[in-house]
This record gives sequence, C-alpha cells and structure tokens, in this order.
Amino acid sequence: MSEEGPAIEALTHRLAETPAEFLEKPRALGGRIDVQAVAGDLLFDLGGEVPADRLTPFGGREPRRSALVLIASWLLHDAWFLERKTFAAAAYDFLRSDALDEIVKSVDPRRFVSDPDRREELARLALRALGLRPAGESEPQAADRLATLDTVGRERILRDTRAAQQRVREIQEAMRKKAAEEAASVYGRE
Amino acid sequence: MVAAAHLSDAERFPLLTEAGRRLLDHLREHPRGPRFNMRCGDRLTQSLRESVLRYQTNLFGAPPAWRPGEAPPWVHELVERCLARVPIYRRRGGTADDLTSIPPVGRDDLAREPWSFVPDDALLDDLIVYYTSGTHGRPIDVLSHPVAASARIPLYRAALAAHGVELQGGEGRVAIAFVCSQKTTLTWASISSFLGGAGIVKVNLNPSEWRDPADRAAFLDDCAPELLTGDPLSFADLAALPLRMRPKALISSAMHLLPATRAMLEERFRCPVIDVYSTCESGPIAFAKRDGFRVLPNDLYVEVLDKEGHPCAAGERGEIALTGGRNLFFPMLRYRTGDWAALGYEDGTPVLRDLEGRAPLVFAGADGRDVNNIDVTAALRPFAFAQFALHQNADGSLRFRYRGGDVRNEAIASALRELFGDRAIETGPIPPDVWKTIPYSRDAPAA
Repeated sequence: MSEEGPAIEALTHRLAETPAEFLEKPRALGGRIDVQAVAGDLLFDLGGEVPADRLTPFGGREPRRSALVLIASWLLHDAWFLERKTFAAAAYDFLRSDALDEIVKSVDPRRFVSDPDRREELARLALRALGLRPAGESEPQAADRLATLDTVGRERILRDTRAAQQRVREIQEAMRKKAAEEAASVYGRE
Repeated sequence: MVAAAHLSDAERFPLLTEAGRRLLDHLREHPRGPRFNMRCGDRLTQSLRESVLRYQTNLFGAPPAWRPGEAPPWVHELVERCLARVPIYRRRGGTADDLTSIPPVGRDDLAREPWSFVPDDALLDDLIVYYTSGTHGRPIDVLSHPVAASARIPLYRAALAAHGVELQGGEGRVAIAFVCSQKTTLTWASISSFLGGAGIVKVNLNPSEWRDPADRAAFLDDCAPELLTGDPLSFADLAALPLRMRPKALISSAMHLLPATRAMLEERFRCPVIDVYSTCESGPIAFAKRDGFRVLPNDLYVEVLDKEGHPCAAGERGEIALTGGRNLFFPMLRYRTGDWAALGYEDGTPVLRDLEGRAPLVFAGADGRDVNNIDVTAALRPFAFAQFALHQNADGSLRFRYRGGDVRNEAIASALRELFGDRAIETGPIPPDVWKTIPYSRDAPAA
C-alpha cells in the first residue's frame, strides 16, 4: 500500500515554475548545466549519498533524457520530499528508470513544464516511483488518473492497434488471394 | 460454379511425378467423366508431406486417451501458445493452468473474424480458405493449411483400420471417390502425393453435371476407387446406379446414417460402411462403433459443455467443444461445434454417445408428453431413409418428409404415433428440387 504524499497541485505548480537554468543545455552537450552534479545534489538532499561512479550515467549525451532528468530533479527537490530524508534510493531509481526512457521517446521534455497534462503525468509518475499517492486520493483513484494520462501506455496501445490492424489487413488480403486461387481438397463430407 | 484458376499445376502438386501427371490428365480428360468445375491439389511440398507422415506415425502409435475431465498434457502448451500469440484468445483471457477458465468460442466468432484465430507469427504463404455453406446456419470461411487438409487421410485410415480395411493408394490408381448428390458443388480430380500419387476425385451425381447420366456409373467403375466418401443421401443415389466396382469401404458423414440405411448400403456394396463424425473446422472427429462414436485423432481434446460453458457430468448431453492445434491457421480452444452428445469412455477411449447435429429439440406429444428428437431418431432406426425432416406445426400436427427407403407412409405414421400419441401426421417424400433439409424443427406452439 502506498502512503499519502503531497497534493498533486503543489507538484504541478512547482513544475510550471521550473527555473530557466533547469531547462538549459547540459554540459555534456556543450551547455552550462552539469546534470550529474544536479542529480548528485538532489540525492544528497533527499538523505542519500551516492558514489560518483553511480552518477556517471546522468552525464550522458542524450539530450532529451538529460533534459528530463533536470526537470525531474527540480520536481523532487520539493520541501515535502526533502524533509523526510527517506527518498534518495527511490529517486535514484526513478531518474534511471525505463519509464523515463520510454516517455522521452514520445514527449518533448519541455512539455513537462509547459503542458498541464504532462506536468500532472510526470508528478504522478514520480509519486508512484516513491511509493506515494497524491494527497486526498485513494490508490485506485490515483492509478485511474495516471492511466488516463499515460503517454507510454497510449503509445503502446496505438502501436499495437496499428500492428494488429495491419495484420488483419494482411490476412484479409491473403484470404482474398487464396479465394481467387483455390482451396486444397477436402476428401469427404464434413 | 467455376473457380478461377490462378495456380499452375506445379504449385498445386509440388511433388507430382510423371505417372501422377498421366493419371491426372486421364481423370480430367476422361471421355465419360463429369464436367469438373474446379482445379485443386494437395499443395504438399516434401517437408509438408513429411509432416503428414509424422502425423500418421504418431496417430497409429498413440490412440486418443485421457481421463474423464482431465485434459491431456499437450493441451497446456497449446493454451499457453494461444494466449500469447492468437488475438482472439489473448483478448478473451483465461489461464493455461485451467482449461475451463478459457471462455469457449463458436461459429459466430469464426464467421465474424476468422483472422483473429490466426497466430501473430503464422506465415500466410500456405493459407487455404474453405467455404462452408453451414448446415448449422450462416456460412463461414475456415482458414486451413495443406498439412491439416492431408491429415484427414491418416484419420480415415485409422477409422478404416478399426474395420480391418487398409487404404493403400499408390501410383496409377484412384484411392478415393468423394461422391455428392447436390444441386451444385465444386468437383475436381486431384492427385495425393501422401497416397503415393494415387488419384482422388470429387463428383456430383446430379445428372445435369454429366454429358450422359449413364456416364456416372461408367466413370466410377473405371476409377474403381478403394474408398467411397459421401453422405447417406449421395450413397442412396449411388446404390441405385448399375455399378460393378467393389470399394473396400464407404465412409459416410455430415448426415445421420440410420442403421437400416447402413445395412442396405453394406448389402449393396458388400463392404463396411463407416459413419464418421466430421466438421469442416476440425476434420474427422470420431467414427461409429457399437453404440457410440469413438474419438479418432490424438491431437484433439473433446469436451461436452453446458450452456454456461461448464463441462457436463459423464453421460450428460451437452454441446461438443474441441481443443486442438493441428490447423496452424485455426487453433481451437474449446470451440463449440453446434453438435450435441454425451461423453463416455470405453477401454480408456473417449466415446460420444447420442450424437446429434444441432441442439436438442423437444416436441409436444398429444397428451402433454415431451418427445425428444433423440427418441424420434431411435424410432426411425428400422427405416432406411437417406434423409429425413420432421416438423411440428404450431397446432401440434406433424409433417414428416423423407428420401430413400422402401417404406409405406402408413408404417412411418404408425412409428411416429407410438411416440407422439394421437397427433395428425402427414408423411411424404422430400420434393426432388429440395436438397438441404433440417432434420428436426418446430413452430412456436399456438397460444
């Protein structure tokens, strides 16, 4: 069972006010911001101490991934999380997670600041990763709300649906072709 | 009804030999042959032919057997595969650990979306499409595969072997004549590489399909097939022809074979007449022996289900449902056939008893008694009808139509009166222009 976390509005509001430097180009890509250092500071402030070598993945040269780590770091630097000093490990896993890898494939990271739905999606993903649910929501309500915002899930469904429709068209086409050809024989009444 | 011919003979018969080519030409161009309206072949390549051979070896090595209510071990793997790869089963859910958790599917599902039964990873090159007019209602397309098509031959062989008959095949002879007696149907001459290059012909006895009606007997005598397949109606028509050929056996399917009809045919052709329960979706399922139909394939699990999809208790009648993966393009998980029977066991072999196509129908007897269609079938045992249809009108009166059988109307009426009591009964032959009939039907009773 998840614990109750901060109100979702507090987090989306925080994202909407992401400072400009968190949206700048990372150092690994020729900019000013050291993503590795930002992540390291966040995890330290959340009560954890992460060896430098475990932070190196954050210094990668993948621009969208790095941009999202910066925005998520800003989000998790909220006082509500910092005060509890218990979320460092979960936050580290979240910043490294496949969920973030997947979502940046279909969403421009700046939209997690500019677009209300994407702000809410990132805030909810972060809470779930930390084992929390938004204040005032039951677990099913939280899961339901996240499902409606779920970019990756929706992409997957669309992709699967497109693939399934394509497969149906292929089989229908093969049926038409085979019908025009001929069936092999059945050898008795059935 | 001439099917467009898009394939070359090389594609129809990948393994055709010179002798096979000569036999094929002989059959197609036979001076007394019918006007064949279709061309088709077995489409077996060397590796597909080997698959059918393996199927036969396996079938003869291990007859079907399972303990009541306990699916054989291969079912688990099939269900697991279908849940992962077959859209309709994936969508409907259930678990491989418990077959009864899988919601049954039926003809309506197949009619609506045959493509949903095709596994995601099945290559479509070898697809075959069968059209069935459907004795159970709406027509359906059944997707099939050359191995599933030719696997019918080992299944026939297994039914024949139980009667001491061997279907040999071999070059230069006709192994099977599939005989129909219908207004119209697809007819063809083919060669089976699985049967060593033997010929197979499908003919329609309807005189309009022949240059001269006398050619029917002449052609079939010249073919001298080892095995005749057909239904009681086509066999009754065949029995009336002046044939000299001596087949090794007759396999009758698709319609109820009454015992007196079987006896008449056995007398006429002097060979065993085997009643086989078969559907286009599955191929042969069971053959009649003593008082039931013994299940034939060892790669088919047969259940009998109630309306809710629960297995019926042993001996209780329900709808026959099939589970099996022989047909690559139509794996079946609890496929409801629309046919009814009770499941029993004889020496470990599953046996279908009181088998009837379609759901049971209860007629109203004169004094309020119920008359089940099974009882009617039993009462008709002494009569050698090739085809029959009993209908009860809204006012309770009965209309009985039949074809074949040397009987007087009064004898039939009297047999029916035994069951129904004092009901008005009108009897008479099925008109010559009516080809398809429903054995049992009734109007809603008048209020």
